[in-house]
Amino acid sequence: MNARETIFAAIRAVQRDAAAPATIAAEAAALSEAMKKTLPPQDPDRLALFTARASAEKVGATVERIGSLADYPAAVARYAQANGLPPSLALQPDPRLQRLAWAPLDTSETLTPNTLLSVGFARGGIAETGTLIFHSGPESPILSSYLSLHHVVALDARAIVAQLEDYAAAEKFGAAPHNVNLITGASGTTDIEGVLARGAHGPRKLHIVIFDSVF
Amino acid sequence: MLSFEQRVDKALGDKQLKIAIERTTGNARRKRAAAVAAWPEFQAARAAAAAIKDHAIGHMAYYLEMFERNALASGAQIHWARDDKEACAIVVQICKDAGAKTVTRSKSMLGEEIGLPHALEAAGLRRVETDLAEHIIQLAGEAPSHIIWPAAHRTREDVAVLFDAHHHIKPDTHEIESMVESARRELRRDFFTAEVGISGANFLVAETGSICTITNEGNAELTVTPPRVHIVTAGIEKIVASTEHALQLTRLLVRSATGADVTQYTTFHCGPKQPGDRDGPEEFHLVLVDHGRTKMLADMAEMLRCLRCGACLNHCVVYRAIGGHAYGGAYPGPMGSVLTPVFDGLEQTRDLPHACTLNGQCRQVCPVDIPLPTMLRHWRAESYERGFEPRTVTLALKIWALVAARPKLYRLGQRFALPVLRLFAKNGWISSGPMLGGWTDARDLPAPAAKSFLSRIADGEGRP
Repeated sequence: MNARETIFAAIRAVQRDAAAPATIAAEAAALSEAMKKTLPPQDPDRLALFTARASAEKVGATVERIGSLADYPAAVARYAQANGLPPSLALQPDPRLQRLAWAPLDTSETLTPNTLLSVGFARGGIAETGTLIFHSGPESPILSSYLSLHHVVALDARAIVAQLEDYAAAEKFGAAPHNVNLITGASGTTDIEGVLARGAHGPRKLHIVIFDSVF
Repeated sequence: MLSFEQRVDKALGDKQLKIAIERTTGNARRKRAAAVAAWPEFQAARAAAAAIKDHAIGHMAYYLEMFERNALASGAQIHWARDDKEACAIVVQICKDAGAKTVTRSKSMLGEEIGLPHALEAAGLRRVETDLAEHIIQLAGEAPSHIIWPAAHRTREDVAVLFDAHHHIKPDTHEIESMVESARRELRRDFFTAEVGISGANFLVAETGSICTITNEGNAELTVTPPRVHIVTAGIEKIVASTEHALQLTRLLVRSATGADVTQYTTFHCGPKQPGDRDGPEEFHLVLVDHGRTKMLADMAEMLRCLRCGACLNHCVVYRAIGGHAYGGAYPGPMGSVLTPVFDGLEQTRDLPHACTLNGQCRQVCPVDIPLPTMLRHWRAESYERGFEPRTVTLALKIWALVAARPKLYRLGQRFALPVLRLFAKNGWISSGPMLGGWTDARDLPAPAAKSFLSRIADGEGRP
């Protein structure tokens, strides 16, 4: 027997009765529901909850709200200036960002290990944890979220779901991308004496710009 | 190799070690307590989490086949390994086939369990650990001493000495922030020169064929995205039914580990890079390892729930006194004392289940309610039955049994022993006494109560 056969034979020697797939699926669904009943009540205002969680001390992101996505470049320019960054940035190659008027900021698609500022667009958010959702793809390189020292992300207020289960349900029947990156705050480590320090390998600062409309 | 007793003596004699462990585990205990206090139904959630994990383990063959089918469809290459050696050989062969010289690694306890760091080096590969704590202990030439904080035995002062000696550009100051920045600078180049990146997995998601990693630093994504080849090593017990179940377990795992709601980075990796993707590996290998897990299915299935959160270590009075290295296995603390006999054999590791006060703290903080004290007692009984206990222990147990079965003799012994013990007590504690050194050298012994339980009953206390 090869390794695979040996392992499966060992499992089946203990678990002889295989239940019907429909029975197993029903059991799995009931278990999720049982877990949901234990969750603490949360603020039904998803935007307020997201903002509170993302900017909580242990998450450590900063959040601002703009009306229209068209105002995003101005928000990024303000962020760069406030943080003493040069007016140049790596732009996530998302057409919704590429359409915007970035001048006088200098934008490029190229990320390098020394990129200071990366500017992106999240697929959505999770209010419960203040989490940003990214699916990798032609318009969303993985490293856009990990390589730079500062990461500024646009988030559509309407794309915020209430909790982790809502994200799982929304994507259940979609094709899985190479990476799903759920990002909650800036990179951090507690590896020296359990004390939190930011910017371990990923961004030291995460700034989230929530917009209400694309016009 | 030193015996368990010698390792414990060494650990107890190291005052710096106690300081380091207390700083890390103390922070962890405080943060976990705050997170649990904010979840009123946490006890019900623990039961629900245990049931979710039991469901996946109970249908293990079904879900592993589903996982395999979906992972293959996503373009992943799957390798099954019966044991540690087979798993390491597979990983080394993939690295060789990739023509690798440098291999970056994101922390994985399964990797430690199977001895992968050693196997990579023995194969002549340059291994770069990218997790900050793993980087620290790689520089120190040490093994991890905690499953979440591998450098828990190192103080900030120790780290400063290591970084000053080894980093190309020394840290600006010895503040923690500055040393973290120094590690960021030092490791950056290796992310982009490595040919292979290796990670573990917190979950294998049957529904999608994805693997999930739960990390804080961002090193995992930087480790596995740029190289041409990504290898995942994972134990087969990491299987869960769905993305939803994985995320539900994450809620409890992370709160129990660091007190956060979720970690900074929860990432699902599904196959290699897809057409049009801007980055990601061209080859995605999954090495699925048994190494004793199918044996545990029969009589220790509850242990297969373990999420590797480390809460049982942080709350264990023995771990806090001796640290991780004294245990001698990849996994220290209560969960390690249950697991290590499975991997290394009970005869060689019989000391571990004894290094426990059975105070039950580990089970109370376990997010999936594993009956760790019961399992440790089970190992003790088995060690006795199979004749692994030394003669001194079996003899002492026989004397104890002889006395305990004869109440008059027992009470007589008590009547002489207790007043003598009380002579050495000060403020309710005994810090030294004849023949007590084995206990009192490293900690105090509580003084016996003024009256024994039995004499209080005899005097009529507690009656209505």
